[in-house]
Amino acid sequence: MTRSPLHSRLLASAALLVLSAGFSASALAHNPMCECKAIDAEQIQCTGGFSDGSGAPGVTLDVIGYDETILVPGKLGADSTLTFKKPGSEFYVLFDAGPGHVVEIDQADIQAP
Amino acid sequence: MNKAISITPPSRLSRFWHKWRFHINVLLLLIPLGFMPKYFADASLFRGDSGLGQREIGTVQVGPWSLRLAELREEAPSLSGPAGYMKDFTAALCDACVEPVKATYLRIGKPRSLRAAGTIFFGTPYRMGTQMPIPEKTKPDAELWITMEGWDGSMHQASIPLSQASPATVAWLNKQGAKP
Repeated sequence: MTRSPLHSRLLASAALLVLSAGFSASALAHNPMCECKAIDAEQIQCTGGFSDGSGAPGVTLDVIGYDETILVPGKLGADSTLTFKKPGSEFYVLFDAGPGHVVEIDQADIQAP
Repeated sequence: MNKAISITPPSRLSRFWHKWRFHINVLLLLIPLGFMPKYFADASLFRGDSGLGQREIGTVQVGPWSLRLAELREEAPSLSGPAGYMKDFTAALCDACVEPVKATYLRIGKPRSLRAAGTIFFGTPYRMGTQMPIPEKTKPDAELWITMEGWDGSMHQASIPLSQASPATVAWLNKQGAKP
């Protein structure tokens, strides 16, 4: 039995409909994410991004002391990462993609190399 | 002129299909009916017909302002992809706060600064929503901090126990145990 062109077209559009229903949920959330790790004794590398898988090149990432002074004002590079020298005093990292779209990472949560 | 015509008998599956296809299609139309109660409950929740959320937390006084806070769903935080566990809250500003309040933020634990005030509420001031990340290492006795920023540059903060804001979240934290 040969399928008519109409039949195959119907099948194809039904398949497309099912696929788009499946993928629609993944486009809903895009929460900011940031991860920092010590790459050696002196340097810390932070990678920013969003939960929909997109990167965050150019987004502000500041290293801030516990006394609220900005120790390292930075922006993520083209690869969505920033490497900075570990400050001598206590600090936290603030990935700032805009008001209410921030991720804070305390120095205690940065894993050692 | 003897032409042999061989006709293969239709398979059982084919006969079944041709006999019942219309009935099967009617059954398919009935399937969505089973999802209707959930659909209408959700529609009413998102439209605000059934209140701010499934569980009203109450009015929280934040400096000179106040807001009504609610859990959108009375349930544990849900895993939202790689960003971790999230919990939805809704809020409505007091009538006198609608004009002077610029932004409202929500965070677990006292914010270090206005920049790090947490997630921002978005939407109409009469029914705003936000999705707050719940770190797995959150202590069950943690506090939920509300930060409100005015157009005049003023900032006011208030906190309520997480156990009051979301018993379901505290139960979830207790169940999974304290993460390091």
